Amino acid sequence: MNAVEVRDLSKSFGGLRAVSNVSVTVPVGSITALIGPNGAGKTTLFNLITNLYRPDCGEIRLFGDLLQGGPPWEIARRGVVRTFQTARVFPGMTTFENVLSGAHLHLQSNLLQQMLRLGRCRREERFLARRAETLLDLVGLTRFRDVAATDLPMGAQKLLEMIRAFMAMPRLLLLDEPASGLNDGETAELAVLLRAVRESGVTLAIVEHNMSLVMGVADQVIVLDAGKVVASGSPREIQGDARVIEAYVGQVEGTEQCLS
Amino acid sequence: MVSEAVQIITGGLLQGSVFAIVALGYALVYRVTGVINLTQGAFCVLAALITYSLERTLHWPVPLAVATAVVATVGYGLLIGAAVFVPALVRLPPSSLLMVTAGLLTLTNGFALVFWGGDPYSLPPFSGEEPVDVLGARVSTQGLWVAGTALIIILGFWYLFTRTMLGKALQACAENPTAARLMGIDVHRMALLAFALAAMIAALGGIVVAPIFSLQFDTGQMFSILGFIAVAIGGMGSFIGAAVGGLLLGIAKQLAAGYVSSLFSEALALCLLLVTLLWRPSGLFALGRPRRTDVRGEQHVHAPIVRLRGRGALLFGILLAVTIFALPSVISDPSTINSLAIAGILFIAVLGLDILMGYAGQISLGQAAFMAIGGYVAAILATNYDWSPLMSTLMGALVSLICAVVLALATVRLRGVYLALATLAFGLVVDALAIGLRGITGGPSGLTGIPSFSIAGFVFDTDRSMYYLVAAIVSVLLLVLVGATRAGFGRALMSVRADRMAAGALGINVTRVKMAAFAISAVLASLSGSLYAFYFQFLSPEMVGTARSFELLTMLVVGGAGTLVGPLFGVVLLTILPVIFQPLALYKTMVEGALLVAAFRYLPGGILGGLALLWSWSSGHISEKSGLLRQPASRNAR
Repeated sequence: MNAVEVRDLSKSFGGLRAVSNVSVTVPVGSITALIGPNGAGKTTLFNLITNLYRPDCGEIRLFGDLLQGGPPWEIARRGVVRTFQTARVFPGMTTFENVLSGAHLHLQSNLLQQMLRLGRCRREERFLARRAETLLDLVGLTRFRDVAATDLPMGAQKLLEMIRAFMAMPRLLLLDEPASGLNDGETAELAVLLRAVRESGVTLAIVEHNMSLVMGVADQVIVLDAGKVVASGSPREIQGDARVIEAYVGQVEGTEQCLS
Repeated sequence: MVSEAVQIITGGLLQGSVFAIVALGYALVYRVTGVINLTQGAFCVLAALITYSLERTLHWPVPLAVATAVVATVGYGLLIGAAVFVPALVRLPPSSLLMVTAGLLTLTNGFALVFWGGDPYSLPPFSGEEPVDVLGARVSTQGLWVAGTALIIILGFWYLFTRTMLGKALQACAENPTAARLMGIDVHRMALLAFALAAMIAALGGIVVAPIFSLQFDTGQMFSILGFIAVAIGGMGSFIGAAVGGLLLGIAKQLAAGYVSSLFSEALALCLLLVTLLWRPSGLFALGRPRRTDVRGEQHVHAPIVRLRGRGALLFGILLAVTIFALPSVISDPSTINSLAIAGILFIAVLGLDILMGYAGQISLGQAAFMAIGGYVAAILATNYDWSPLMSTLMGALVSLICAVVLALATVRLRGVYLALATLAFGLVVDALAIGLRGITGGPSGLTGIPSFSIAGFVFDTDRSMYYLVAAIVSVLLLVLVGATRAGFGRALMSVRADRMAAGALGINVTRVKMAAFAISAVLASLSGSLYAFYFQFLSPEMVGTARSFELLTMLVVGGAGTLVGPLFGVVLLTILPVIFQPLALYKTMVEGALLVAAFRYLPGGILGGLALLWSWSSGHISEKSGLLRQPASRNAR
């Protein structure tokens, strides 16, 4: 089964075709990386899949079910959770509270039980706190537990956003440039983390510019340029593909003309 | 028939010119800074009052008096612009800036109260009392002065923005402040210039309308609100929109007054606004600007995070409870007990506002409207239909709940200043109904003969018994809200305040969370309003009017929004101070405004935030791990 199945998807902004006739699939249990130069339509594709934008035409299936409009929070209910290009941790909340807020979908206690602090609510809060602390420890953010989340360095904010998404126990996790703001060491740790996430049964789709990360972790790479899929395949296949090099370096004929 | 219609429409156009002038000031400041500047109306009144003093008391010639008044008002505008507005512009998000200007409005009103007292003033018409014929309608010559002034201001704007470099520089600040700064434009100076220019326009407007309206220290609030409505109808930041919006509003008000009833002209004009907002949230002449939605533009929260937890919280709670219940045995003065009971009742409404604004980040300028609904429903049922006070209070809460849900559903698409405007309009409609429905509410003179509150035969008819009742209710509410805000509900509220889109991506149903916040806030305000009516055994529209909404907001912000005990400081401060310093009651309005401005400027976390900061410093707890408090190290410049 495919976690995401996109068929003939198009989206224009004014005169600009940000995504045009794109068909891609993300198999369940894989790590799929979307790469391409700036403005290739990677984030737009993410925004279409997570229902922030309505497509002009084409269809999107998430775990086999057709996506048909509806509010953004419906997407998370289907087990699809995303992060954003600029880490969007919640200002005005501590790191710990940020992580806990990710579990909102799975809250069992209702407002009355929370107001009266009944047993179910207490048990749930204790359970969530333990889970949150484990995740904070996993990515090395424990020492920032009670600090305002927006005070964290950028790389830490990206990690925080990721574990917050993970608290929602997604079936598919969409990460928009998870390695931006991370140094090389942290990027290597991120690669380990991403593989561990895949092993835990979560499908991953990432938009990423860092080639060593992409080539290291991805099972499938999809290359976008100017809103179109240029190539797709395993990292090895992609690395040797002339069209990919063209998309990144520029048109080969054009280059020759300039040189001559 | 036709001549009557012509008469009404010309009247509407003239009145509309006044709103248009105020609205043009709004448009100018909004265009350059992106802020809704509620101070506009206060400048009108200030200039008119100065003119009055110079002309009537000191017998200066009219042109000299007018010129001096305009210069003085612009000077005052420059002063508060440089001291408050521009510094705030750098540090605060737009929604807080709206509150800052609300504070400046109150401050200026209070200033006028101190110097000119509470009496109404009126200037003589500039060119005689005799009306002239225009297209078959009798128009006072002063009306022509107003329309002429509006026209000159519009032409002046058109010239400034299309023909001068200065206009282009001002425009650049609005489009992209950072880019403008890179091009060598002093953005702060431009903002100050726009603020002062807007003050000048408002001053001119205030002076030319002074012979038509009778002006009081707080008339400025009405001008500000109507100007805000006009600019919202036309489209924020559009000059044509501001002018058209003002004229439309004037005509709508006159038509409503002419053909329906002058009591409801306000309410009908507000319905026009609500319909415009719901139909075209960005107004008739919107300046469309596409925005990327997946990249966050600005920081929304600037206040320090204050969290009391663990043993500290328990200790604090016990201390608070002991203080609350022991106070009456320490204080013997009945008037102090009385004002403490009032403070407690108002605190209930502020708690509701705190859930809505402090936690969920939804600005409301109409909280007192729910006090009015709760108060009037309960009082009428208990007085005229012999319902028990308890049942009528519950009924009031139910009616408020229904109104809140309807309001929340209608405004679900609105955010920030637009939501503030919609709630303000709702509050004004309720005000207008409370005054207009004389048969039911007793009209402006109020509802008398309301029984004292009672539960199962026990009557709370003394200050002391009421104090204990309120203290018990407040304690229960605090406990319950502490529970909810520290669990999933509180986190959902705060995440919606912080970032709706990211919250939605985590599966948080933003609409439902907002509705819940609205509902809780309305029910608490309603409870507060009912208790208020039963305690005073009297209820009049101004006790629960829009001025009260602004006061509740001040209490919240001064105390510390987004915490549950913080607002208590604000409420007690603003209710007890006027009682203790009775002779200084004249300064109350001014101090309230000053406190609101100062809280935003110097104490972003309110009094509680300040205390926590102090405590952290004194005990060296300001390390990153303290968990009690963190002051964000950097504030993103806008």
